[in-house]
Amino acid sequence: MVHALDEIRRTLKTNGTLIDLRPVESNWLVEISSSAGYQLAGRLNDMPVGLADDEAAFKAMREVKSRGWYIKEKEEEFAFFYYWDMPSEMKEFMETEWEDFEKMDESVYRTAQSLWSQANADAQVRVRVKMLITKWKRA
Amino acid sequence: MQKDPEGFEKKILHKFVDFSNKRVLEIGCGEGRLTWKYAGAPNLTVGFDPDQDALRIARADSPYNLREHVHFAQASASHIPFSKETFDIAILAWSL
Repeated sequence: MVHALDEIRRTLKTNGTLIDLRPVESNWLVEISSSAGYQLAGRLNDMPVGLADDEAAFKAMREVKSRGWYIKEKEEEFAFFYYWDMPSEMKEFMETEWEDFEKMDESVYRTAQSLWSQANADAQVRVRVKMLITKWKRA
Repeated sequence: MQKDPEGFEKKILHKFVDFSNKRVLEIGCGEGRLTWKYAGAPNLTVGFDPDQDALRIARADSPYNLREHVHFAQASASHIPFSKETFDIAILAWSL
């Protein structure tokens, strides 16, 4: 990662901008959303691979900052939502696409099913992903 | 499945960066999902990704009016085939 950040630095103009935009593990929330509002069904479980990826990314940025290659200018967290029409679609997606990063307990899935079935007809299930955006200046 | 239908990602990206008339490098562009949220503003956008299939989709989805300004290439950040100090902005798109 540090080598890649050095290569990016090479191609950036002096005082150019590096944007680091990525999700970070934090037991993302499973929610049922409808025109009436939203309800919490539970939290996902972070997996070791995802946590290790996050730590490696933060470590790399600390390293390039300490080398004076980049200067942190601004950072913010925000929510990024994935929506599915029904809980079974969410479950299938997680088991195929997120299997190394997030796991959903059966109890959370059952709660989501129950809330979804009792909610308004327009209800969807969603996962609230924690996102981090950081603006760096190339030194 | 829908991703970010509220457009929070686009809003915050434009809050953090003024893309107008800039030269932008996007690392890990994939199918171009993020690229199309800003590519109308820069003079030049180059998206990199190691996944050739994803790049094929990105090229196929290129809006006609942006095709002269947006380019995709198979590469990774460990070797960027451009000379030094080419870009004003680099974006690590879910890729660090």
